[in-house]
Order: sequence, then structure tokens, then C-alpha cells
Amino acid sequence: MNQLFAAFGIDWKLLIAQAVNFGIVLFALWCFLYAPVMRMLEKRRTVVAQGVEDARRAAEKLAGADSAAAERVAQADTEAEGIVARARQAASAQSTEIVESARARAEALAKDAALRAEEEKAKALRESEREVARLAILAAEKVMREKAV
Amino acid sequence: MNSGISVVLKATPLFSLWGFPITNSLLMTWLVMILLIGFALLLRRRLALVPGKLQAGIEAAFEFALDYMAEVLGTEEAARRFFPLVATIFLFVATANVLEFVPGVGESIGFASATGLTPLLRAPAADLNFTLALAAISFFVIEVTGIATLGLFRHLSRYVNLRGGPVGFAVGVIELLSNLGRLVSFSFRLFGNIFAGEVMVLVAGFFLPYVLPAPLMGFEMFIGLIQALVFAMLTLFFIKLAIMEPHGAH
Repeated sequence: MNQLFAAFGIDWKLLIAQAVNFGIVLFALWCFLYAPVMRMLEKRRTVVAQGVEDARRAAEKLAGADSAAAERVAQADTEAEGIVARARQAASAQSTEIVESARARAEALAKDAALRAEEEKAKALRESEREVARLAILAAEKVMREKAV
Repeated sequence: MNSGISVVLKATPLFSLWGFPITNSLLMTWLVMILLIGFALLLRRRLALVPGKLQAGIEAAFEFALDYMAEVLGTEEAARRFFPLVATIFLFVATANVLEFVPGVGESIGFASATGLTPLLRAPAADLNFTLALAAISFFVIEVTGIATLGLFRHLSRYVNLRGGPVGFAVGVIELLSNLGRLVSFSFRLFGNIFAGEVMVLVAGFFLPYVLPAPLMGFEMFIGLIQALVFAMLTLFFIKLAIMEPHGAH
């Protein structure tokens, strides 16, 4: 056995040294590599989970916002329709009023004009009668004067 | 360089520090440790919530390994508990093996001595001390895990089986021997692969120094990775066996 150990150079001091070396590497890698990387993986897992949760919530909120927006748009639509209808009604009412008043005024003007024309006509007639009478009198006077001469 | 190939089965002590032999394999092991720990420190400083390519790759590897271990061991918690051990075995052995043929490791740089050149650096796994220490740690962890999971007596009943009759008793003895044999198989498998690879590249370089060694080195580095994986996986599987109920108990 001792010969075998000697042939392969086995020395308990070296064995212990190599075992200690392995222990040091194990400890160092545990502290500086495995634990930090595992922590990082865990941290990333929580971050990703948080991100997924956030995305889900955002999508939910977005869907809610969509329906709210659609509702508001529909409401605005009906309101606008109401306003337009009322405006149209108001406009037509106003326009008939305007047409009515215009017609009334036109009629009044026409009546007025007719009346005035009638009066003018009567006046002219009266004046022409008076002229005829005066001419007749003048003619009569002239005749009488000639007779008297 | 003297003529001929000198193959040294054991790591050569370069000098002694207070009676402690510093071999070229031990020196290389320290270099590998510095590289690994330095890499870990560098990576830790750069860890970010939004990963870079390197971090993403390492995280993917970790998650893959964890998933696989959870599948083998049955629970996520067990996978997390044994991940550092298995991962360290793999990283340590893989790094040591891949650096096996980096210029400066092996026969190229060293001290001139009476018997030729003493390499300054030698692949750690080409020294049985390194592989045997790892095998012992693996063995120790496996047995302790068995005791911690099942309790001392039920764990020992694996080896000393008095209720199963003579056949059961023989099975227990065989199990004990095979578990002890793991120490040998673990250490010599890794040592043999890496050492043989070095010898093969050395011989190939002797025959055809300009063409042949390069593809062989690539192949041996691949073998080194596979051996690291084998060491880690076998540890994992034996842990799995240790936390399972002993034969005949269910």
C-alpha cells in the first residue's frame, strides 16, 4: 500500500492541501458566484412577475378607458343630434315668422299704394272737373261779352 | 531537453515551504483557483438586472443545471442545496483540465534538474492527490447526506443488513465495498484520463511535432470537460442514491 502511494506520489499533506483548495473554491464561488446569481435570478423573477401584473392591469385599465370613451362619444353624439334638431326647429320657426311678417308688410304696402292711387285719381278728377267748370265759365263770360257789344 | 520522453507519474515537488512540499500540480491548482475566484469576483461586480451576454449565458447554464438537478433529486430544494457542490466540482475540474495544454503548463517551462526538465506547472488532475482529495470530498458528502436524510441506523442498515438473511447480508457487504470502491474509481478515472491525455500528446509530439498534437490537444480538452461533467454527475447520482430508501426497506 505504501509502495502504491509512493508510486502515485500520494502525500497526506498534499491531499489535505487539495481538499482545502477545493473548500476555498467552493466557499468563494458560493459567496461570489452562486448566491449573487441566484439572488439576481430571484430578483428578476419578481420584477418580471411585477411587470406582467402591471401589463395585465394596464390592459384592463385600457379596456375600461375604451368603453368609457365609447360611452362618452355616444353621449356626445346624442347630445349633438339634439342640438342640431333643436337648432333646425328654431331656424324653421324663425324663417316662417320672417316670411309671414314680410308678406304682411308687402300686403300692407300694396294696400297702401292702392289707396293712395285711388285718392290721387279722385283728386285728379276733382281738379279736372274744377278746370272744366272754370273753362266753361270763361267761355260763358266771353260769349256774353261779345253779345253785349 | 534530453532525448527521449520522460513520463512522470507523480507531481514533482518544486520546493519545500516549512516542510510542506509545493508540487507543480499544487501550483497549477492555485493558479486555477485564482482564475476561478477572480472570474467570480469580476462577474459579481458586473451583475445587473438587465443581463449582458456573459451573465445571460451563465444564468442560462445555472438554470439548466438546477432544472436537471431538480429532476434527478426530485425536489427543487434538494437541487438548490447540492448545486454549489456539484457546480464547483464541475467548474474546478473543467477549468483545471481545459488549461492542461495552455503554453507553459506541462513540459515547456520549468527548472532544469539532473533528470531533465522539471515542469513548473502540471495539470492538477494529472496528480492523484488532487483527484483523490475531490473523490474523498464527494464520498464524504454522499455518506453524510445519507446519514442526514435517513438517520444513522437506517443508513448503516444499507451496509449491515441483518434482516434480509444471508443474501441480504451479502448485498449489504457488496454495497459497502462498492461505495468504498467509488473512492478509487472516482480518483483514478479522472487521473487516468488526464494523465493518459498528456502522455498521448507528448508521444504524438515526439512523432509528428508540427501537425498531430494540435487536434489531439483539442480532443483531450474535450475529454477533460467530459471528465469534469462525469465527476459532477456521478456525485449527483450517488447523492440521489444516498437520499433514497435502502433496498428492501420499501
